[in-house]
Parts: sequence; structure tokens; C-alpha cells
Amino acid sequence: MSCGSSLLLALPDDIFTIVTRTLTPRDVCNLCLCCRSLYALGVSDKVWLTQCNVLDIVPQRDLLEWRKGVSSYRALCQFLVCVQPLIGIWVHQNPELGNVVYVMPGFISVVGCRIIPQELGPLGLEDGPILWAPVFEIVGDADGSAAFFLHGRDKETDYFYPGSLKAVDRTCNVLLLEVEPKQQRNGGKLVHSKSFAHHLDKELSRRICRSDSGISKSERVDGQNASSMVPFNKLSFGDRRKLLDIVTSQVRLKVPESANGLLFASVTGGNDDEKFRQDMVYLCERRSLLMQMYKLGGVCNDGEDDPLMHPPDPTQLDLSEIRKSLDRSSGFRSSLLNGGNDNGWTHCSSNKKKTLTGYFRDSLKQILGKSNSSISSSNRQNSKNSSSSGENSNKHAQLHEFLRTGDTIGLTLHASSVRLSFYRAWPNMHDSRFALYKLPMHAPAVGQEYAGLWGGTFGWPPGKPSEEKPGKALFFLLLSYEESQGKRQLIGTKILEGTHYVLHPNGSAMFIVNINEPSHEAFPWDTDGDSHPLDVRQAFTGEGIANGYGFRYPGSRPGSLFVIQDELLAFIWKESKAVLTMQRLNLQELLKKGERVPALPPIANFSYLTKSYSNVFAGFTNTSNGLSSPR
Amino acid sequence: MSTKSQEKQLITLKSWDEEEFVVEESVAVKSETIKNIIEDCGLELIPLPNVDGKTLAKVIEYCTKHSTGSNDDSEDLKKFDDEFLDSKEIPVLIDIVLAANYLNIESLVEKICTKIADRIKDMSVEEVREAFKIENDFTPEEEKKIRNEHAWAFE
Repeated sequence: MSCGSSLLLALPDDIFTIVTRTLTPRDVCNLCLCCRSLYALGVSDKVWLTQCNVLDIVPQRDLLEWRKGVSSYRALCQFLVCVQPLIGIWVHQNPELGNVVYVMPGFISVVGCRIIPQELGPLGLEDGPILWAPVFEIVGDADGSAAFFLHGRDKETDYFYPGSLKAVDRTCNVLLLEVEPKQQRNGGKLVHSKSFAHHLDKELSRRICRSDSGISKSERVDGQNASSMVPFNKLSFGDRRKLLDIVTSQVRLKVPESANGLLFASVTGGNDDEKFRQDMVYLCERRSLLMQMYKLGGVCNDGEDDPLMHPPDPTQLDLSEIRKSLDRSSGFRSSLLNGGNDNGWTHCSSNKKKTLTGYFRDSLKQILGKSNSSISSSNRQNSKNSSSSGENSNKHAQLHEFLRTGDTIGLTLHASSVRLSFYRAWPNMHDSRFALYKLPMHAPAVGQEYAGLWGGTFGWPPGKPSEEKPGKALFFLLLSYEESQGKRQLIGTKILEGTHYVLHPNGSAMFIVNINEPSHEAFPWDTDGDSHPLDVRQAFTGEGIANGYGFRYPGSRPGSLFVIQDELLAFIWKESKAVLTMQRLNLQELLKKGERVPALPPIANFSYLTKSYSNVFAGFTNTSNGLSSPR
Repeated sequence: MSTKSQEKQLITLKSWDEEEFVVEESVAVKSETIKNIIEDCGLELIPLPNVDGKTLAKVIEYCTKHSTGSNDDSEDLKKFDDEFLDSKEIPVLIDIVLAANYLNIESLVEKICTKIADRIKDMSVEEVREAFKIENDFTPEEEKKIRNEHAWAFE
């Protein structure tokens, strides 16, 4: 053989694809970098379809449909690799009834769905639709890049709040809703404020764009992430809240009727082919519409074609607006502001001869004082002061420092990896972050047969409401295993409670049993609700939750966990004889058959930080199921 | 054509460079291709124009090991496979996989592909180029462009 590359190139396509099957996307990319011929082989759709299949995020049937909306399987793989760490269950401590957001695949997207605290309807869990509300979507563009849409509702109208997705940390365990300052984007996406769009002519904007195009992508990124930049999380809660409020009040797109239907298929491919096909057609069109809105800020109106009026980048808000709002809304005027210089930045038009960046810098100087260097020095000075005005100045300086690194700000989703401590299976959560926390879920394995997500109700027979109790509160429990003092324990952590007013804190262990300690208690019933005989396989001894010292510190009472026919678990409290029955949940399938309810206003929809013990997600009228109403 | 249960039918396989190998039919039919030829044509001497003698010998070695009547210890078999394949240089592996593909011996194809992939896995571009004796024919600009294109996979 002459040239070495003919070794791999001698392989027929099929064989080459089999070789790549056990390679990671990174390895395949390395292959492509070897030489031209391998590049041609390595970028083929066949190879990358295999890569997408190996990721095992959606079945091949879906991949074939998704391919229609992307430029290649390689682009699709890029998107899938990016969003894969987001898939799973995310929770927050508040409200205490439960805040469960399940992120699952949509259509060239992942969708964050909040499960509403609810009661089981008369059809039970299998057939009665589960109630859920949309929290966010991350949609892939044709080239594999990702767009972030927060869902929210304001005054009976549904909105999208478009933003960016920060590079997702592979091991992320926190989802943060943030605001990010950006330099003006280029590549055809121009940023104008409505107030002075008519002052800038096309030439000027093109010049700005051209000067940026010489900079490589990495350099531009470095420029944005200058080491002096204050991260969003370092700002005070008030400032973060304010920024989020401002951005969500201004950067939003009304959801058109045509895009307010399905967010993901209502059936699994193979179960109902006709319905699946219909859903795919709808979802494909919806996603095109979403991407159009993301790039152009609204539905394209035919017939209107003003070349001078480029639409503003719909995900960004220029900072002159912000500074106005910030200063107006909370008396930000501190010793840093020069008295009487308010006029400097309200009259944008007077600076039309300058470039955008020059303009912003100038106005900022006027807000912050004579020179930029005075900020850092006054920062240092102020931090030495113990007076409250010194602290305020420090915070204001932080906020201005934060805003200084860009000319626009926008919403961003930041999936990051932080050090999290756990109490048993529940993460300890920082109260003032607009965040969702990942709940580590383990699949059943040898020695951990019952690990995973289960749905439960109180009472016997399981699942169906009786005459006396028309609505049965639906509980979600995460079952996990732990070693403690030499004992292997199975813990049932409550993550959702469908009662009207919460009984025990979110994340409490409903029961803890010892796997090594079989129970000798007899199961009280011989048959189930349909009079079928019961096969009680195993029983374990342990404890179940009970009232303790106040709400925050529940106690426990003895009880036993019974395993019935491998699909049903029942925990029975020894003294009170209360029964909690549980069956496994396939959340994705349940949501596909589920019933969508309206979202909350955007920030609350992502992370509801106001302490609450009732159902804050049910502020609307409906539905077939009994909904625990808020107090 | 069915064989008499007690007798072991012998088949002769001939490579393109005229080497002949006599094997038991039970070994030869590990190759779907050969199996079909025997069933369709009932030949006892089968020419294989797409395989050379050296490679055919190795393929036969594999098939022999994997067709011994008794259910050999799977641990033993796995050990044989690993030793059989790990000891071979990449050009030899390529020859064998091409032969196994032509002869339609699925298990052997899969195993070799995995082994080849093992030699690519977790390697840098330079290491892959060296292992497979590949010459870089990209310009620096092209290479940079492709790296940017694929930056997402390296995050």
C-alpha cells in the first residue's frame, strides 16, 4: 500500500461507519482533520447519523424527521451534544408543594415542562392526562446552534422571551436564569434601538459590521469575557431581579396562535403512525416559525420592505434604555453620579456622528463620573467604608461595572456546575438564585431494583379515587439507595405533592427502609381493587414520615415497604395503617399524553422564589382533573 | 446439500494467488458467502478471487477457533480474539476486515472495526496520522477553519 490514508479509505462506507460507531464525536472530528479524503468520509450523513443514534436521546425515527430541519446530521449531533446534559429532572425548594421541571426532547429542541401539583382524576394515572406548563425551550437552528426561549404569561397573553444559551457545562447541576451584556453582534444581525434607528444610516452600520468581521470568533469571545467583567451572580439580589424584570418586560414576543399548540409529539412513533406524522408536520412548521421570530423579532410581514429599518435584534435590549430604567426606578443616584448630567444620555440623537460604542462609553462616563478609572478607585475606597452609603456605592459600582462590558443586554440560560451539598437525595439550595437544581436520577440496576421516579397516592385500592375521596393527591417520589452505618437503605424522597396545602417540606423522605431487614408484617389485603389476587414478593422494615417539630422538622414512625408483583410498591405505617402506593412513572410518555396549562409570568415561571406552601402554579380555571387551588 | 451426520465434509478454498486451504465445511460456512455458494452450487473447491492467501489463512484461523463443535468457554474465545487481533498491525487488520466483509463474516467484521476504532479513540490528530500513516494535505488556513467548525466537539 502506498499512502497510509488508503488504509482507512480502502474501507467501504458501511465498514467505515461501523468503525466510527464506537468513536466519540470528538474522535470523528479528529479523523476529519487528518486529511482531505478522510474529511470527506468523516462528514458524511451516514457517519453522523450513527453518532446521533449512539447518543440515544431520541429514537432513530425522530432523528429522520429532525433531519429535515437541519443542514446535516453533523449539525444535529452538535445540537444534541450541546443540550444532552440538560435532559432530566430539575427542582427547586420552593414552592414547598413541589417545583419539578422535566427537560425532555421536543422537535429539534428540548423542552422544560413543569409538572403542576395535582390530584389524580377518575381515570387514574394511566389514562388521566397529567397537567403541565411550559417553562422554556431550547431550539436548534439549521446549523446546530441553539436558541433559548423562556415561556411566560402576562395578562392572559402567552409570550416567548428569547435569549441565548451559554456553553453548557457537561456536568452541570444548576440552571441559572441570567442577564448578559453583549457587544453588538455582527454577521448581519444589527442592533438598533428604536429610538435612534433613523439616525444611523445603512453605511454606518455596515462599517461597524465590517470592522468586526476581521476579528476571529475566539478573540471576540475574549473581548466579551474580559477579566474585569462582573459575573451576573455577583450582583445583589435586587439588581439581578431588576435586570431580569427590565429585560423580560421589553424583550418579548407574543406567541402566535399557530405556534401555541404542541411543543413535542403527542404520541411515540410506532404507536400511532398517522398521528405521529401529523405531529411532525406541525412541529416542523412551528420550529421554523420560532427560528424566524428569534432572528427577526416577529412574524415576517410580506410587503413591508424598508431597507433602512433593520429590525432590532429581538434578543437584545440596548443599554441606554436600561440605564434610564435603572436610574428612574430606584434612586440609584449615588455619589458616583455627577449632579446635573442627566441630560447627557437622554438625548441620544446629539451623538449621532459617533460610532455606537463610542456613544455608549461617553454616556456611561457621564453617569459614572469624570473618568472610568475613578470607578475602581472609588470601589476600593468605598469598600473600606462601613457606612451604608459606601456599600450602596459598591453595589452600584458593581452594577455599572457589569453593564460596562457591552452595549446591549439580553436574557441567557446558564447551565453550570457548582458544588452542591445534599441531604440524603435532596440538594441544599441557595435561596436567592433564579435557579433550578438537577436531581440526580439513577436507573434501576442490580442491587438497586427500585431506583428511579415513582408516582404515588394514599389509600387502598391504589390509583382509583373512591366515593368518599373524589380526588387523590398525586405524589412524585424519587427512590434512591444509600449506605448508612453499615445498612443499605432505600429512600423515598418526595419531590411533588398534590395536596392543597403542603404537609411536609419539599424533598422530605417519605420513607426510609432497610434493604437488609425483611419485614414480618402481613400485608393487610389479599386482592387489589379489581379483585385480582396479590402476590406480595418482598417486605422491608423501616420508617415513614410523620408530624414532628413544626413544619420544617418532620418526625418518623415505624412502617413497612411491600413489593407487590414488581410493579407496585406500598408503604404502610404500622400504627396509623395509612398506605402509600407507588408505581413507576415514565414521565416522557405521561407528558406526551398530558394536558398543557398556562405558564406564570416569566421570572416566576422559571424560578418561584417567594416562599409558598400552596399551589402557586394553579392560578387559572379549568380542567378535567381536580386541581389543588391556591389559598 | 446436506452432509452425512457422521462424516465431516471437506471444502477447499483457493485464494487469488493460487493458495489452497482444505477446511471442514463447518468451518467454511462461518462465512455467509461461502455458505450460500455451497448451498447454491454444491462446490467442493471454491475460488475466492478477492482474498489473498496470507489473509485467507488468518480468516480460516479465526473461523476454526469459532466453530469447534463444543461450546467453548466464552472467556477463552474472548481471550483468543483479543490476542488474535491486538497482535496485528493496522494494514493487516484492514486486509482481514476487507476479506471478512467480502466473505460476510459479521462477527469478525464487528470485532475488527472495534479494534480499529480502539486505535483511533482518544488520540490526537497527529497520533492518528502517525498510526495510520496519513499525510496531512490541508493548508494551515483550511485546518484552522475545520477546527473551528468542530470546536463544539472539543468542549
